[in-house]
Amino acid sequence: MNRRHFLKMSSATAMAVAASTMDGLPGQAGLFRSAQAQEIKSFSTGSLGATEVTSVCEMCFWRCPIVVKVKEGKIIKIEGNPKSPVNGTRVCARGNSGVQLVYDPDRVKTPLKRVGARGEGKWAKISWDEAFGEIAHNMEKVKKKYGPHALAYFDHGASAEFMRGIFKAMGTENYTSEPAFFQCVGPAALAYLQTVGYVTTGTRQYNDMANSKAMLLVASHIGENVHVSHVREFIDGLQNGSKLVVVDPRYSAAANKADIYLPIRPGTDTALMLAWINYVIQNKLYDKEFVANKCDGFDALKKEVNGYSMEWAAKICDLKIEDMKAAIKELAKAAPNVNIHPGRHATWYGKGDTGRHQAYAILTALFGAVGVPGGIYFPTSVKTGKAECPEPEKTEVAETDISIKDETEYPFSSMFGTATRDLFHAMLTGKPYPVKLLGVNGVNIMQTLPNPYDTMKAINNLDFIFCEEMMAGETAIWSDIVLPDSVYLERYDGLYAYDGLTPYLTVRQPAIKPLHNVKSPYDIAKGLAKKLDIEGYSCKNEQEFLNEELKGAGLSLDALNKQGGLVTYKGNPYRDPKSLKLGTESGKVQLYVEAFDDEDLDAIPKFDPTPAPPKGFARLIYGRAPMHTFSRTMNNLWLNNEMPENKLWLNDKIAARLNIMDGEEIIMENQDGKRSNPIKVLVTPGIRPDSVFMYHGFGSKSKHLSRAYGRGAADGYMMTNVVADPFIGADSKRTNFVRIIKGDKTLNIPELAKVPSEIPRFKSKLA
Amino acid sequence: MKQYAMVIDLDRCVGCHACAVACRAEWQVPVPYRRNWVNRLGPAQTSKGISFTFYPGLCNHCDEPACVPECPADPVEVTFTDQKTGATKTMEVAATWKDPFNGTVQVDRRRCLGCGACADACPYGARYVNPDVVNEDLDGEGIVDKCTFCMPRVEKGLPPACVQTCITDARIFGLIDDKDIAEYVKKGAKRLESKGVKIGPNVYYYGQPKDLELLDKTSTPQELLASSGRRRMFAQMVKPSMKQAKNIGLIGLAGTLLVKATETKSPGDE
Repeated sequence: MNRRHFLKMSSATAMAVAASTMDGLPGQAGLFRSAQAQEIKSFSTGSLGATEVTSVCEMCFWRCPIVVKVKEGKIIKIEGNPKSPVNGTRVCARGNSGVQLVYDPDRVKTPLKRVGARGEGKWAKISWDEAFGEIAHNMEKVKKKYGPHALAYFDHGASAEFMRGIFKAMGTENYTSEPAFFQCVGPAALAYLQTVGYVTTGTRQYNDMANSKAMLLVASHIGENVHVSHVREFIDGLQNGSKLVVVDPRYSAAANKADIYLPIRPGTDTALMLAWINYVIQNKLYDKEFVANKCDGFDALKKEVNGYSMEWAAKICDLKIEDMKAAIKELAKAAPNVNIHPGRHATWYGKGDTGRHQAYAILTALFGAVGVPGGIYFPTSVKTGKAECPEPEKTEVAETDISIKDETEYPFSSMFGTATRDLFHAMLTGKPYPVKLLGVNGVNIMQTLPNPYDTMKAINNLDFIFCEEMMAGETAIWSDIVLPDSVYLERYDGLYAYDGLTPYLTVRQPAIKPLHNVKSPYDIAKGLAKKLDIEGYSCKNEQEFLNEELKGAGLSLDALNKQGGLVTYKGNPYRDPKSLKLGTESGKVQLYVEAFDDEDLDAIPKFDPTPAPPKGFARLIYGRAPMHTFSRTMNNLWLNNEMPENKLWLNDKIAARLNIMDGEEIIMENQDGKRSNPIKVLVTPGIRPDSVFMYHGFGSKSKHLSRAYGRGAADGYMMTNVVADPFIGADSKRTNFVRIIKGDKTLNIPELAKVPSEIPRFKSKLA
Repeated sequence: MKQYAMVIDLDRCVGCHACAVACRAEWQVPVPYRRNWVNRLGPAQTSKGISFTFYPGLCNHCDEPACVPECPADPVEVTFTDQKTGATKTMEVAATWKDPFNGTVQVDRRRCLGCGACADACPYGARYVNPDVVNEDLDGEGIVDKCTFCMPRVEKGLPPACVQTCITDARIFGLIDDKDIAEYVKKGAKRLESKGVKIGPNVYYYGQPKDLELLDKTSTPQELLASSGRRRMFAQMVKPSMKQAKNIGLIGLAGTLLVKATETKSPGDE
């Protein structure tokens, strides 16, 4: 109790209590004497006068150049590196909050060994030597018993790169199941690679929004999905007068800025795209010269899309035909300076995800928007050296009669690695061969993959699982050994070369010494290699190989630091359309992808509808919250404070029918009877009545994350129906449906938007 | 008088919350208190269509601040200096005041009793009392804190922390008659004012009409709290005889301030 609280009481009570305080009864005052002096001092000066270290952010994979401010050995603030051509002095909420990742009390502080059941989160603290010894022992044991391919690596982000070499040196083929590909951009990357000959949308996205005259976003919610340079280019485009068309079942932050918003029925985007492509061809809105000289397969395309009329699409997509026409005319008017944006996360419906992105690439080409301002552009690589010393000396995939990659049903997966679903299938069934040891690095294995129930089963089939982690999250509680990783602010890493519109070269470097008993990713790989007698990893430290690699750019760490930690280069993003030569076999855009046809897949996308929600259910869709990254930042003191839990967006008309109030807490039940954590409802007209929406990454099941545990609900735990993309085996995540449990009542979602007969309905036993 | 002001362009804002966090980092504002916030609004129906927008808020450094007259701390005579012209002005101020040269509303943290009267009076909720720090010699109960428009940074030629980090350059800071700001005001930037609350806030919001409508509907205060004499009286009652600070150079405020103790009647005594 303090005086402020007394003053909030009724006057009579307050009078009495205030009087008693004057009599000298103890209050809170006086308890924080030393804090006062310190605090007043810091309030006076803010971050002024701090020591500055330039570095690279890793609060997400976009990796903005930063300046870290240190006072009295403590990181107090992070700003953008003013020398950076992409973000300047700016960092997003997450970039600002890196401070609290370092000082998070729930960090993994020392190597841990599981003592309870997997998933229980009971550990004993062990030494690094013991941790490396346990992992090495189990890797060797599994390799001896089942062969090298029984070892697998599942990873994401900067922490993961050095350890990949260990798995390569052990001889396994299973070190390339990156969820960043098979759970995210995979279908888009394949579609663009086959159509325009390069991956326009991988880690980087070569979309010139700032110089566009019109942009199309299909469910891409730039602004809620925050990558600083990307968001800046988007906003610059809008401020320069670019017209924005947003297609999304949800009214996103981007939709709010749209000139034309199309609240499409989920799962019908390809129908809209094909009708638009047909309209563009029929009305001769395409770039005749570009199509004639730089595209193969136009006649086949014209014939294939001929049946997709605007009238048909309006019915399928539940859109107004005038709006659809206005949108495509607006985009056509801007050609060739038009940005048909691929979005980012592409694994929605399994079937049709690659085709949908192929359609974006086709529309891009029809508008001649390849290598021109406002369209897709070409990366400019920055020349650096290559150091051998941060890797094992020898790596060779062991020979095998049966390869997961060859046995796969997904003909294009092996171009990129082992499909996640093939790897987990092997863990679950032992086919085509058993996978018995998993190393996880930088991935929340329960929330990155759909169907965590299967993931748990797969993990329980393993002989051994270990992870490298900063936080004691869901991956850690399922691991046998947890290796604590230093935070990006405590370490060096690889070299960062940006190949976008304004190329630059920069480097991550530590602002402080690592806290606790943690090691850098390089030292972890090096330590484990030593235990396994793997030769290599011969650099003394990270500086040694960084200097080696910088030498190739005519630099050194010292020289780079003298130039503000970052050097810029001239970009070469555009091409003269006349001399344009693409990376496809013919050097032209492939409107018809023969390689797909060779595998009995559609060479030109077709509309193959994903099933509509069962009666009484709504489709679950999800997206990114701007102040959170995946499920990684929910425990961060500052970010948690900005958004501690997610909400379920429920259409206002549905909410009125079900008598659900804004802010009310409910539970979701999916089509297979799986139930969610309690979650509060956001009643809004900004979501279609046949869908619900939530931000991804909340509802952690790790009790060790004191702020994030049980706050909000996790979308992944509602995903038990998973459909494979037939091209690469990517896993669908928008093929699940929920209804609402309020108190002891099960509430069916009434159907307000009629489903046309062309779209089949998902069959649920519960419907 | 010069007046610092800020424009927040909601057409540029994507609601990323970088501003709120950068402010927290810069001034070490403890969770859950705030000098600077982003409230997420909607998506909700307006008379002009659906809006999904944001209320990035901070102290408005009002023309007639509701908070300043509420401060029960013993007034002291302070000489303010205009950094540019060197002009001075001497005024009697309590522990919070409006600067006569740059229009910012500031707090003397070392004379704050933490009674919270100013925080309660602010219709925008822009002040908080941090109970974890106190002025012991004043038998304080906490210390009030709020946005200073980052005057310590501005004096060094730096933008406010929230402006510097804004990823889309949606925050424009300067003097009210600076070209950038004046242009926004001319083309319709709005203040969060109502019939009941017309105290001249100096933060302006620009955006699509639907967004400004939702912002206004959800975030404009409709009435000022009736001046709480009782509150000030209590603060006076519980306040011990203040050890009056003499000639303290206030750090981090615009200009060099000289604080001179006075024996004037405190505002609660009328």
